[in-house]
Amino acid sequence: MKSGNRERTMNNMSSSNSQQQQQSSEARHDDDAVLTEFLASLMDYTPTIPDELVEHYLAKSGFQCPDVRLVRLVAVATQKFVADVATDALQQCKARPAPVVKDKRDKQQKEKRLILTMEDLSKALSEYGVNMKHQEYFADSPSTGMDPASREE
Amino acid sequence: MSHGGGESGRLHDKAGHSGKRKSSVSGDEFARAIAKIAVAQLCETVGFQSFQQSALEKLSDVTTWYIRNIGKTAQFYANLAGRTEGNVFDVIQGMEELGLSQGFAGASDVDHCLASSGIVREIVQYIGDAEDIPFVYSIPPFPVARERKPVPSFFHICEEPPGEHIPAWLPAFPDPQTYVPAGNEGDAVFNADKIEPARHHLKMDMSSMNLPQHLTTCIGSEGPSSVTFGNSARATQGTESNPFLAAPLQFGEKEVSHLVPPARLSDEEAVRYPVEQNRIMDNHMSVLETFGPAIEAMKSRFCDSEEGQKKVLLNQRPAVQFKIRVGKNSLAGAPDLSPQKIGIEKISEWFGKDSENDDKKRRAEKILKQSIENPSELAQL
Repeated sequence: MKSGNRERTMNNMSSSNSQQQQQSSEARHDDDAVLTEFLASLMDYTPTIPDELVEHYLAKSGFQCPDVRLVRLVAVATQKFVADVATDALQQCKARPAPVVKDKRDKQQKEKRLILTMEDLSKALSEYGVNMKHQEYFADSPSTGMDPASREE
Repeated sequence: MSHGGGESGRLHDKAGHSGKRKSSVSGDEFARAIAKIAVAQLCETVGFQSFQQSALEKLSDVTTWYIRNIGKTAQFYANLAGRTEGNVFDVIQGMEELGLSQGFAGASDVDHCLASSGIVREIVQYIGDAEDIPFVYSIPPFPVARERKPVPSFFHICEEPPGEHIPAWLPAFPDPQTYVPAGNEGDAVFNADKIEPARHHLKMDMSSMNLPQHLTTCIGSEGPSSVTFGNSARATQGTESNPFLAAPLQFGEKEVSHLVPPARLSDEEAVRYPVEQNRIMDNHMSVLETFGPAIEAMKSRFCDSEEGQKKVLLNQRPAVQFKIRVGKNSLAGAPDLSPQKIGIEKISEWFGKDSENDDKKRRAEKILKQSIENPSELAQL
């Protein structure tokens, strides 16, 4: 394989451009194949974010493309982004120590309702460049705004 | 199963709730609601059981921002390459630009092929790993564009435009039968809304073939422009419906109550502090009575002469008379009257001098007034 390549490169240097073009076109074919495969695989996968929504916002920002596969690509990319953010927020939620549970309950101290809160979300989004600050507010009672699971008790 | 049922239940609530709010701010509410549902589904897949409302809204906002940003960047790259339509490489480049903050494999390579970019590989990996959960609802393509029938031009109707100055490619005038008789010229602005219902009535009456279609297009698109034809109708039809659109009243049309001018200076007018002693009232004005007009005069800068000033002062204001409650002791006492006299003389002298120190004089007046009143009150005590 290697010797064959070397031969080819030698030939390229010595011969005309046609072989060079041939080689680059082969490479291009490979890339094209990768791309076509990729786009075909996109069509198999149905993203959770609907195509119409993505089309609407793409049209709003001025991006014109008649190809559905591009819309799917954007949808999948957005889905991946949101999933990443949500996963990070979940990690934040789980990393927080669980609230104190009374003894009356079953011994499920680790069990707690996973709730997407503004705090977790802001921490997760800050890594992605979105800076979010939740406005502080004055509450009537001490339990306002607390973790809802503990508030239920 | 219950998980899925619970999810759809929650989503239904959300959809209903967001449906109620559709009438609020902008036309984008529908898209935002759908984004919220999609994001909620995604969070569910990741593992969340519920979310705070504000957090969900924020995340859906970020999602829409992300989509728009990709579109903007992809369009930019397409334009940079001299194209108006984007292709896959533009999108990949857009994604790379957005993913630079996070970093992806091969980001630092300057000359890499886009198809084998790290971003693409990550996406392929994601597709392979993630579950395929489609969106819950089936959405029609939106926004729905309504077909608007344009007004046919003169050329289309094969009509001669009235007047040489009107080119034939302009939209045709509505039928002359639809013109409402002209009324007041001043009503033109207000009657734009009322001409349409007027025309509508006419449209119902006439049943000629050409007219209804013509009228529908006219009424739909030419409502405001019809005012320019000089067809300002009388306000009769509109007045019944909306008083704010009625024609403005001309002067003298409606009987309005007359303003009661302030009464001239009179001794019997007692406002807050009626002077108790009639003797004083006959000969002298009360303290503020003099001072009040004086203040007015200072404001209006009447300064001819001392005498004339006094007269002017006296004529301007109605009497505001102070009730100086004095005991029986002071009745006989001349000192009660004389301070007033002296005060008046002094102050009128001050006014006679110059009219520039208004504030100082007013303050002086007040102090004097207080000093006059206070001894009387003290006397009462």
